[in-house]
Amino acid sequence: MRRHRKEALALGAVAGLCSALLAGCSSHDSSSGSKAAADSPVTLTFWGTYGNGGNKVQTDALSQTIIPAFEKAHPNIKISYVDVPYDSLLQKLTTSAAGGKLPDLVRADLGWVPKMGALGVFAPLDQKMSDYQTLSAADYPGSVATNKFSGHYYGLPLDANTRVEIANSDALKKAGITAPPASFAELKAAAPKLKDAKVSVFADSGLQGWNVYPWIWSAGGSVTNDDQTKATGYLNSPQSVAGVQMLADLYKAGSIPNLIVGDKGATQTSDGLPKGVYGTILDGPWMTGIWSGQYPKFKPVYAPVPAGPGGSISVVGGEDIAMTSASKHQAAAETFIRFTQTADFQLAMAKTGQMSVVSALADQEAAASPELDPFIKQLATARSRPSVPQAPQIDTDLSNELTAAFQGKQTVQQALDKAAGEIDPLLTATH
Amino acid sequence: MASFSTSVTQRGAARTALAFIAPGFLLFAVLIIYPMVRAFQMSFYDWNVIAGAASDFTGFHNYVRAYHDPVFWRAAANSAVYMAFTVPPQVVLGLLVAMLLNNRAPGRALFRVLFYLPVVTSWVVVSLLFQYLFADSGLVNWMLHDVTHLTAKPTPWLAGRWTGMAVVSALGVWKGIGWSMMIFLAALQGVPKELMESAAMDGAGPWQRFRAVTLPAVRPAAVFVTVMLVIGGFNVFTSVLLVTGGGPADSTQVLLTYMYQQAFKNLDFGYGSAIAVLLTLLVFALSLVQLRLFRSDPEEAP
Amino acid sequence: MTSAAHPLSRRNRPGNGPRSRSRNQPRLTALAAARYATLIVGAAVMVLPFVYMLSTSFKSQTYVLSIPPQFVPHPATTANYSGAWGSHDFGRYFVNSLVVAVCTTTLSLLLSSMMAYGFARFRFPGRELLYRLLLLGLMIPAMMLIIPQFILAKYLGLLDSLAGLVVFYVAGSLPLNTFLLRGFFAAIPVELEQAMRVDGAGAWTRYRLLVLPLAKPALATATIFTFLASWDEFAWSLTIITTPSKQTLPLAIELFQGQNSTLWGLVFAASVIAVLPVIAVFLVFQRYFVQGLTSGAVKG
Repeated sequence: MRRHRKEALALGAVAGLCSALLAGCSSHDSSSGSKAAADSPVTLTFWGTYGNGGNKVQTDALSQTIIPAFEKAHPNIKISYVDVPYDSLLQKLTTSAAGGKLPDLVRADLGWVPKMGALGVFAPLDQKMSDYQTLSAADYPGSVATNKFSGHYYGLPLDANTRVEIANSDALKKAGITAPPASFAELKAAAPKLKDAKVSVFADSGLQGWNVYPWIWSAGGSVTNDDQTKATGYLNSPQSVAGVQMLADLYKAGSIPNLIVGDKGATQTSDGLPKGVYGTILDGPWMTGIWSGQYPKFKPVYAPVPAGPGGSISVVGGEDIAMTSASKHQAAAETFIRFTQTADFQLAMAKTGQMSVVSALADQEAAASPELDPFIKQLATARSRPSVPQAPQIDTDLSNELTAAFQGKQTVQQALDKAAGEIDPLLTATH
Repeated sequence: MASFSTSVTQRGAARTALAFIAPGFLLFAVLIIYPMVRAFQMSFYDWNVIAGAASDFTGFHNYVRAYHDPVFWRAAANSAVYMAFTVPPQVVLGLLVAMLLNNRAPGRALFRVLFYLPVVTSWVVVSLLFQYLFADSGLVNWMLHDVTHLTAKPTPWLAGRWTGMAVVSALGVWKGIGWSMMIFLAALQGVPKELMESAAMDGAGPWQRFRAVTLPAVRPAAVFVTVMLVIGGFNVFTSVLLVTGGGPADSTQVLLTYMYQQAFKNLDFGYGSAIAVLLTLLVFALSLVQLRLFRSDPEEAP
Repeated sequence: MTSAAHPLSRRNRPGNGPRSRSRNQPRLTALAAARYATLIVGAAVMVLPFVYMLSTSFKSQTYVLSIPPQFVPHPATTANYSGAWGSHDFGRYFVNSLVVAVCTTTLSLLLSSMMAYGFARFRFPGRELLYRLLLLGLMIPAMMLIIPQFILAKYLGLLDSLAGLVVFYVAGSLPLNTFLLRGFFAAIPVELEQAMRVDGAGAWTRYRLLVLPLAKPALATATIFTFLASWDEFAWSLTIITTPSKQTLPLAIELFQGQNSTLWGLVFAASVIAVLPVIAVFLVFQRYFVQGLTSGAVKG
C-alpha cells in the first residue's frame, strides 16, 4: 500500500507541476494581450531570418541599433522581431496563412513574394502606399522586379545580394594563371591547365536558375520575354544554349565537379575554394564572414562574372519586406517599411553583410565596407529570376532537365527545349 | 490475442470499458480524427491556402494527376525499397541483440544505453551526420578506399539513386535497431524461464529452444515491431530530406518528401493531401495484410 | 499466454531442480566470450557516428571537415558548448522542452493505459472498429494534418502556448502507446483478475493494483518513447509557437543552421546537450526491464 501511496503522490506532484507551469505560460500570453489593448502603443510582429546560423551580428544590429532608433522616432510603435529558421519560414508562413494568424511584417525571400501576393497573403504595397513609386524608384530595378506579379507589387526590396566570381589565386597560380578568368574564352582556356594541376576551373552546387541564369544572360541569351509569359524561344535560344553548353562541356571534360549535378556528398564550394580544390566559384557577400571564421588564412579574390557576348550579367538575390493583408496595423507597418528604405537602416545592415537596395547609397556603402565593392558594381546590371507564383516548380523543372543533360542522357538543346515547354504554362499560372 | 473474461455482464462490461476508453478516445477524435477528415477533404479541391477563402472543387483530379505522375510512382517505389531494406534487418538484429542482453551479465546496462543511443539522437542531427560521413571525401570512403582498399576509387554515395537509397537505408537500420531491441527486451521478460530450463534439461539445442520457447513468447512483440516498422518505413521523411534532398533530380524522392514538396514548397495542398491519402491507404492495407497473416498462423498456442 | 498447456511444460517433473548454468565452465566461457565480442562490435558500430559527433563538438570550425577524419580533437575547445548554451535563450528552450515532455508523457501514459485496458479486457460492440480507428491515426502522415490542426488549435485558443503542444502531442502518441500496451495487458493471465473480482475489486482497482504493476516493462518502454517523441518534435512546435521565449529545443538547434553555411561544431554541441535528458530518462526507466525478471508475476 505504501508503494501505491508514493506513486499516487508522485503522479499528483507531476500533475500539479504541469498545470501550474502550463497555466503560467498561457497567462503570460493573456496578460500581454490585454496590456496591448489597454496601452496605445501598437506592437508589430516582424518575422525574419537574421539570426540564423548563430549569426549575432545581424540580430544585434537590429535589436541594439535599428529598432531602438525606429522606436525613438515613433514612440507609438513597438517592433517585436521573431527569428525563424530559413528552411522553415515558408512552411510557417503557409500554415499561419491557413490558420489566419499572420504577423504584420515578413522578411521574405524574393521567390516567395509573387506566390504570396497571388494568394492574397501579402498586401499590394503599390496600392496601399501612396509613395510607393518614389520609394521603389530609388531601388535597384532588378530587386524591385522581384516583387511584381500581375501588374501589382507585393513588397519592397529590403536587402540585396548577387553572385560574383570568387577565385583562389594560389590554386590558379599552380597552372600559371595570374588573374581570375574575366571572359568565357579565358575560362575555357584555363580549364585544361588547371585540370593538370588537379584543380577544377569552376564549381557550383546545382543547376537551378540561381546557378545557370548568370551564364545564360552573360552569353547574350534570356530566360523569358519581357512580359514573363513565354520561355520557348528565349530559354532555348541559340545564345542561351551556348551559355549552358559551355558549362556542360567543361563538366564532361572533368573540369567541373559533380557537385553541380546534385551530388550532396561532393565538397561544398565553401570548403573546396579555400582548400584549393576549386579554382573559381560564383557566390555572395556572406562568404567573407564565413571564411574569416573557418579558414582565416584564405584570401579570396573577387572579380565580375566572366563576360560573354552579352556582357557580365549576374542574378539578383536578397530579401523583400512585405506586409500581410491580414495585418491589423497597416499604417504602422507601412511606417516601418518606409523606415527600412532610409539610409539609417540600409547602411547599418550593410555593415553586417546585408547589402543595400538603394542605388544612391552605393558610394557610401562601398566606402564603409570596401569588400562589398565588387558586389555593388555587379548589382547595377544584375537581373531578377522569373517572379511568378510557380517559381519553385520552374527551378525544379529546369534543374531536372539540365541534370539529365549533364549526365549525358540528352543534349543541352533538348534539355532547354523540354524545360521551356514545361515552364511556359507555369509562367502564366495564376497561383 | 488472449482470452478475456466473459462472466462480466455485457451491459456492465460495455459501460466500464467505455469509461476507460472515453477520455483518451475523445481527445484523439477531436485532435486527430477530425483533422484527418479535413485533410481528406482537401484532396478533392484545388485548395486555397488563405483562411476562409473559397477553393475550387476538382473531384478526383488530384488522384488522377498522381496516377499519371512519374515522380509519384518513383517515390512510391523508393518508399517500398526503403521498407524492404530496413524492416527485416531491424527485426532480426533487434531480437538478436535483445537476446544477447537479456541476462544479468555485468555491463548490461551500459550496452543497452549504447545500442539505444542512435534512437535517442534526433533525426536531423543523425541525417546531417550521415551525409557528412558518406561524403565523397568522408569517413566511409576513407575506410573503404584509403584504408582497406576495398574499392578502386571513392564512391559518390549521394550522386545516384541506388547508392543514395543505400545510405538512407543504412541510416534507418542503424537508428532503429535500438528501438526494436527495447521492445524485444520487454517481451523477453515474458519467456517462461522454467520452460527454457526444462527444454535445456531435455537436451534441446539452442536453436530448438529458440524456436519452441522464445519465438512463441516474443511473437506478439515481433508482430508489433514489424507492423510499426512498415508504417515507419513508408513514413520516412527527415533522413531523405536532409541526406539526399530527394535528388539528384528527384531520383531518391520518397512519398513523404514528395508530398512535402508539393504541399509546402509549391503550396499545392490539394495534391499534397491526395498523396498523403494514397500513402495512408497503402499503409493501412499493408498493416491489415500483416495482421491477418500473423493471426492465422496455426503454430500459435491457445 | 503460454503456461501449463505448453507442450514442453514439465511442471510436475520429479527429481532435481533446475541445473545451474554456472556449473558448466568451459562451454560457458567460450559462449560468454562470443557474446561479448558480438556485443562490443555491435555497440561500436552503433556508437561510432555519435562519438564522431561528440569529438567534432569540441573542435573549432577550421578542423571540422578535415580529411583524414580526426577522432580526437586537437586542438580541443569548449567554445562550441559555451556558444550553444549562451545563445538565443538556449536554457529557456531546454526548460520549455522539459516541461512539455514531462507533461506529455504523464498524460499520455495515463490515457493510453486506460484505453489499452478497456480494449484488452472487455468485449463490447464496436470495439474493433474503435481500435482500428485508433490505429489509422498511426498511419496518416502527421505533416498533412498540420493545417487542419492549426485551425483547430486557433479555435480552441491553444495557439502559441506550451499547453497547445502538450495536448496535441498526447493525442498523437495515443495510438502507438495503446497498441503497445494492449498487447501486454492481454498477456496477463485472466485468472489473477478473476481472483481479484471475486474479492470484490472493481475494474479501476484491478487496473490500478494488478495490471499496471505487472506491465511495468511495457509502461517503461512507452515512457521512454513518448518522452523522446515529445522532446524531438519540431514541425508542430515550429508551427504554433511564435513567441521566442516559448520555443522548444529542436527549434533552437535548427536555428544554428545558417542560410549559407552551418557551424557544425555549434550544431553538434547543441545536439549533445539536447540528448542528455533523453539518455537520463532511458537510464532511469530501463531498470524496469530487470524488475520484470525478478517479479516472477507472469510465471503464475
